[in-house]
Amino acid sequence: MARISLQGVEHCYGDRRVLAIPAFELEPGSVAAVVGPNGAGKSTLLRLLACLEVPTRGTVRLDGRPLARPHDWRRARQRVTLVEQRPLLFPGSVAENLAYALALHGLRGRAAAERSARALDRLAIGSLRDRDARRLSEGEVQKVAVARALALQPDVLLLDEPASAADPASTGLLYRVLAEERGRGAALCFASHQLEDAYRWSDRVVALAGGELAPVTPANLFRVDIPPGTGPRTVRAGPLTLQVYTERTGPAIIALPPEDIVVSTAPLHSSARNEFRGRVRSISEDGRGGVTLTVDVGVDLVVRLTHAALADLGLTLGSAVVLSIKTMAVRVF
Amino acid sequence: MDFFTDGLRRGAELIFSGDAEVFGTTWLSLKVALLATLIACALGVPAGFVLGTTRFFGRRAVITTLNTLLAFPTVVVGLLIWGLLARRGPLGRFGLLYTWPAIVLAEVVLAVPIAAALTAAAVQAVDPRVRRTALTLGAGPWQAHWAVARQARFSLMSGVVVAFGRVLAEVGAAMIVGGNIRYHTRTLTTAVALATSQGDFGLAMALGLLLLGLALTVNVLLQLFQGRGAD
Repeated sequence: MARISLQGVEHCYGDRRVLAIPAFELEPGSVAAVVGPNGAGKSTLLRLLACLEVPTRGTVRLDGRPLARPHDWRRARQRVTLVEQRPLLFPGSVAENLAYALALHGLRGRAAAERSARALDRLAIGSLRDRDARRLSEGEVQKVAVARALALQPDVLLLDEPASAADPASTGLLYRVLAEERGRGAALCFASHQLEDAYRWSDRVVALAGGELAPVTPANLFRVDIPPGTGPRTVRAGPLTLQVYTERTGPAIIALPPEDIVVSTAPLHSSARNEFRGRVRSISEDGRGGVTLTVDVGVDLVVRLTHAALADLGLTLGSAVVLSIKTMAVRVF
Repeated sequence: MDFFTDGLRRGAELIFSGDAEVFGTTWLSLKVALLATLIACALGVPAGFVLGTTRFFGRRAVITTLNTLLAFPTVVVGLLIWGLLARRGPLGRFGLLYTWPAIVLAEVVLAVPIAAALTAAAVQAVDPRVRRTALTLGAGPWQAHWAVARQARFSLMSGVVVAFGRVLAEVGAAMIVGGNIRYHTRTLTTAVALATSQGDFGLAMALGLLLLGLALTVNVLLQLFQGRGAD
């Protein structure tokens, strides 16, 4: 059974509908990632899951039971916690911030101190324990807020862009710690605009666009098996053979960013090591002032380009094209 | 200038001689002001809190009304309360007119809008993340309100002091509903007005200095409180 679920949920601010979700569930022991551009409704979705706002329409269920009375929402918030994108720490030390949260759950004294120390240590920020919360950097505030949430051992842990202010090393540690939370049966969900993070650290990626769930087709994604070695390697992605550059080996996901693919009508003499011949299958406005082409190269690849470039090349449906992409531009995660 | 220095000298003499009437008047002023502030805050602070934290139909109208009441002429309040308490008025049978509780009542009416409006402004100024964060950490509604109040405590305290200041310095309403009766309803402000009209500049000066001293003491106490909190 889902730990927490939304059914037929719509949420409005005034007359403006910001979210419409027919069904959404978080399973115990799983990590879901919500991706989407700014304003897609990611934060609103997390606030509804955090039981901070009551949806305008629809039902929120925790362990299958619908939340109806104010008391239900309050009880739910004892089991669900959210780390906001710009989290707030209360005045006082880092330790006091964790102690406050634990006290709200009836934990005080030694038990609370041990829990808070363990949470800080897991994120390698034990040294911040006695620091004044108002004198921390943005990245440190984010980590302390995550530690504060971890200390509560919630059944549902929600995080809004948890690594937006973190350096790559901290990001890795943060997501590894979050992945460990699966082990105790927690349901996790994080919002991110980094597709790499979403794919790398979650079991399931959900895309939001304009407040609605969108089918996740982040363009040009392939599951591949990267052969042993370092540096440039050749991988098979469906019918394509291409070169990637990575330190990783084994199963991975690669993406060919639609903006980084070069379209030409003849092969180029260039630095791009990956070249595919195909035909234009569709041309459409991308809604952001550019054009999206779908090119059949044995598999459909999505390419973004400008109106001017499209006109220059004189492309129409069925035109033969060559797509090129540099080894270094192929994203591996 | 002699006129001034003579007044000041006589004022100081009256204060340091421990004149019973002067101290009685001071005590009454303090009692009325403290009690009225206490009651006004007990009513106005929770009302302001609700106003500042919840959205409901007509909220803007209530805030506009409150802000207008901040500038309500004190003599008009005095007049209205006089009408209520006068023997023929709705509350006439309680015989409160020309007693010190009548002054407290008038001052409460004056101070409630201050307490409510300043509280609403103070809690509205608190980062909305404070309440949300407390709630996401498992706080109940009261604990979340408390978290907001803690963040707004200095502004809330300033509101209390402003209310106390208005009540302490008020003269019109106190004169109308209290009647400025010697030993009974004569407060520092009404006494200053009377002494001045009688030409007893020294007495007026002594009472004025005491009034200033009271206001100063309360503000210094607040400064100390804020200073400690800010560390």
